Amino acid sequence: MIFQESAEAFKMAIDSMRTNKLRSLLAALGVVIGISFVILMGWVLGGLDGALEETVNLMGEDVLYVDQWDWAGGHNWRKEEYRKPITIEQANDFCSKIKSAEVAVPLSYAGGAKVKYGNNQYNGMMIQGTKSEFSNTPSGAILEGRFFSEIEEKYGSNVAVIGFGVFTTLFPDSFALNKDIRINGHKFLIIGVIKKRATYMTDFMDQRIYMPLEAFKSTFGKFNRSLNVVVKAGGKERLDEVRAETEGLMRTVRNLKPGQENDFSINETKAFEESLAAIRIAVWGIGIGMTVLSFIVGIIGIMNIMFVSVAERTKEIGIRKAIGAPRRSILIQFIIEAAVLCLAGAVISLAGCSILIYLTATILPKYVSELEFLKPFIPLNLLLIASLVSIIVGILAGLIPATRAARLNPVDALRYE
Amino acid sequence: MDDQEKIIIDIEHIAKIYQMGLEKVFALRDVSLTLRKNEYVAIMGPSGSGKSTLMNILGCLDTPTLGKYMFRGLDVNDMDDNELAAIRNKEIGFVFQTFNLLPRATSLKNVELPLVYGGISKSVRHERAKKTLEDVGLADRITHKPNELSGGQRQRVAVARALVTHPSIILADEPTGNLDSKTGIEIMKLFSDLWKKGNTIIVVTHEEKVARYAQRIIRLQDGLVETDEFNINQFIPN
Repeated sequence: MIFQESAEAFKMAIDSMRTNKLRSLLAALGVVIGISFVILMGWVLGGLDGALEETVNLMGEDVLYVDQWDWAGGHNWRKEEYRKPITIEQANDFCSKIKSAEVAVPLSYAGGAKVKYGNNQYNGMMIQGTKSEFSNTPSGAILEGRFFSEIEEKYGSNVAVIGFGVFTTLFPDSFALNKDIRINGHKFLIIGVIKKRATYMTDFMDQRIYMPLEAFKSTFGKFNRSLNVVVKAGGKERLDEVRAETEGLMRTVRNLKPGQENDFSINETKAFEESLAAIRIAVWGIGIGMTVLSFIVGIIGIMNIMFVSVAERTKEIGIRKAIGAPRRSILIQFIIEAAVLCLAGAVISLAGCSILIYLTATILPKYVSELEFLKPFIPLNLLLIASLVSIIVGILAGLIPATRAARLNPVDALRYE
Repeated sequence: MDDQEKIIIDIEHIAKIYQMGLEKVFALRDVSLTLRKNEYVAIMGPSGSGKSTLMNILGCLDTPTLGKYMFRGLDVNDMDDNELAAIRNKEIGFVFQTFNLLPRATSLKNVELPLVYGGISKSVRHERAKKTLEDVGLADRITHKPNELSGGQRQRVAVARALVTHPSIILADEPTGNLDSKTGIEIMKLFSDLWKKGNTIIVVTHEEKVARYAQRIIRLQDGLVETDEFNINQFIPN
């Protein structure tokens, strides 16, 4: 019976909304704005989470990166600038002594290298020198061919393993394996291609070329920059142990005295999670404040229009009561009407936000590349949350007017003109 | 069936008092009545005599301030809002002067509505409403909305709505008040037909020409029963 009445009330609510289009729209405006806040906030947070997840995937959740620099940002750059670079000797020393890690390899960097294949030259690619064990880290997984061997590493053979982005740039429609390329004038044989790791926002990760450390040294003359050490713990649960050993060992290698501050940073995905958490809280804070405010306005708007609706239909309520409608039925009727009104508001705001989100996510990142984490669609769970919230708002807003309607005295209601 | 079982409405010494500021207004002072199954009763009186108040109380739309009201052996005074609603739904069929149909609903929907509140399933509801509309001569008007119907047709829809739950009594308040005299006669004939089929009918009116169809006429004056007589001149149309 409640289901029948509800279905009936639903139809009537749609009907009454059709007859009062403008009025319903204005009444639902607060809800439209409120729901829009929920969606936009959720969308931004979802984007941030996506960006974080990507970072985690790229870096590997069980991998530590020992570096002169702290990657998470928000730190004292000046101070890090005065740190001594991590030398190849320190890196090698560290890698040979660490016990708890599954893999530990040095990684040297050279940016802005000139890479030439045939007549095409590309500037600004990132070249990295490392050891054969790098293939055991997430960034070293091979798509085709192979990573360089221990022997090639030892003799500093001029072999290169290229990132997926390099592959598609240099060899848009041909095979890369066994081709010769020139890096700063030195000839290198391509022996492998690394799996695609990045998405559109982190494609720099795929724009890399890996070579043995010795080959790196002879190509660039020296290790002019501070090196990194990549430490793979071999499982997230082992991170604490490996991090502790890494810190202690690195301090020893760097000759730090007890009490002296670390002059290196151990980077891991956790740091990104932490720095993102601050942004999340800010978005939440602003979003929640605006949302609550607009829902209060929304509830008042809907409540007001429901009072009008009850007053207009006093006679109808009287008729329904005279022919035996219990209080509950009248209550349900008006609450459903309010909920339908809010749901319509949610539909409007979903449509509006979809357009806004699509345009924002496709146009804005062209000018502000930091916003590339935004996705051009509304996630499904947000749709559900928005609908649910709108229905709850409707029920809250409809409760008092509906109670008033349900309590009307049938004699007075029938007499009302 | 003995007399006790035939009694549908039994009211004793009921009064309805309204507080208007400091003054007490007696809409009904002291009314006692017994109505039995298949009676056709007209309640008459000038305006202010209390007949509308009496009708509201008989129809369980309102409760008396004083006195006792038994409806088929149940004490109406003890009932809460929802119990009164259930009595109105199952036992009483209202016919109003202004028809009081839902303007946006079709004839069929209007007639189905009491069955919705009675918790009758959709298919049964549909059949019964259709059958009842056919009984009042509106077989070809079931999908029309009130504004597409004449006054007489609207009142027939209202009668169908009153009948569809098979109530114990039909309570009509000035049923011809908004109709021209020819249509009014048709509606009164419909009531006589229903009475002949065994229905119990109470008509509240101030018009003698409406009251003459009834079997018993109760006249009110100043909140009291003035006369309560068998109508020896009852007009029974063929």
